[in-house]
Amino acid sequence: MRADAVRGHLDGLLLSVLESGPLHGYAIITAVQERSGGALELRKGTIYPALNRLERLGLLRSTWESAGERRRRRYELTDAGRRSLAAERTAWREFTTVIGAVLNPAPISGQTT
Amino acid sequence: MKAPARHTGPAGDTDPIEGYLAALTTALRGPARAKARMIEEMRDGLVETAMAYTDEGMPYRQAAGEAVREFGSPEEIAPSCQRELTIVQARHTARVAALTVPLLFACWYLVRTTGQGWQPPGAALLPAGVAATAALLASATLAATGTLARRLPTPRRLPLAVAWTGTTTAVAMALTALAFAVTSPPAVDWPLVALVAALAVASHAVIAASARVCRECARLSAAPSGAGG
Repeated sequence: MRADAVRGHLDGLLLSVLESGPLHGYAIITAVQERSGGALELRKGTIYPALNRLERLGLLRSTWESAGERRRRRYELTDAGRRSLAAERTAWREFTTVIGAVLNPAPISGQTT
Repeated sequence: MKAPARHTGPAGDTDPIEGYLAALTTALRGPARAKARMIEEMRDGLVETAMAYTDEGMPYRQAAGEAVREFGSPEEIAPSCQRELTIVQARHTARVAALTVPLLFACWYLVRTTGQGWQPPGAALLPAGVAATAALLASATLAATGTLARRLPTPRRLPLAVAWTGTTTAVAMALTALAFAVTSPPAVDWPLVALVAALAVASHAVIAASARVCRECARLSAAPSGAGG
């Protein structure tokens, strides 16, 4: 799946992989790719400004932690982030239900071929 | 995972990761701390990605090149980074304006109280009103680009509007300070006037500089670009 297809859903994907606990940038990218079975082609560099933006919106909070000689930023969901994720899931279910009903219409009962 | 040894090739043969980050650093404008943080986070991500490859036996230079390729070219990544840095810069400019104007007003009020019934001239009230309005707009910007932005889309031209609001604030505060200083009667506490005037000049410089960077950021964000993700 191309990177362009992910645009518009990136926020939900990032919030979703952080639901189970705090992660740093590389682990977030790996989690998204593992969950998608490697089908999502993310431009990895795009997640860093997205994480910064989600933190500005109060959906994530972050702290520096040391990893050997390096420092890494560890992100976790805020309460507002959990509510936003729940809303994203509901909106996605409604969207797929509606589009699915159009793409795969149920056979009309009593119709003969 | 063990950190890979950096490639130290012949002179001019730069590390692919450092070369990539240097290109991004050159392309991006914004508050130094926010920009440094973004670059440092990316460095960590690139190094981790390269380490995953070197752990599989890939030579470092090839692994670093692969990590850079997976991140997306600087031309692809810079627009989304710049958009965020531009908003951060706009918030910085708005914060400086929103905090400085009330502080200076409080100082001038203090000067006025030492003037034994002296009333500031109308020439001072007009720019003071402009500065107060600009400070209110700056406060609204801070709210609109913070948690409110979850519900309200941020207008694309907002950073540019904030930049001009900052410039207007800087000019209005300078004019207010000048009018107060010129028309103050001899009865006022002149060391206090000099102190407040110095504070006004310093505030003018800080707001004007922040507004200038904000304008540059807004210009970069508005520039035509490739896919940002």
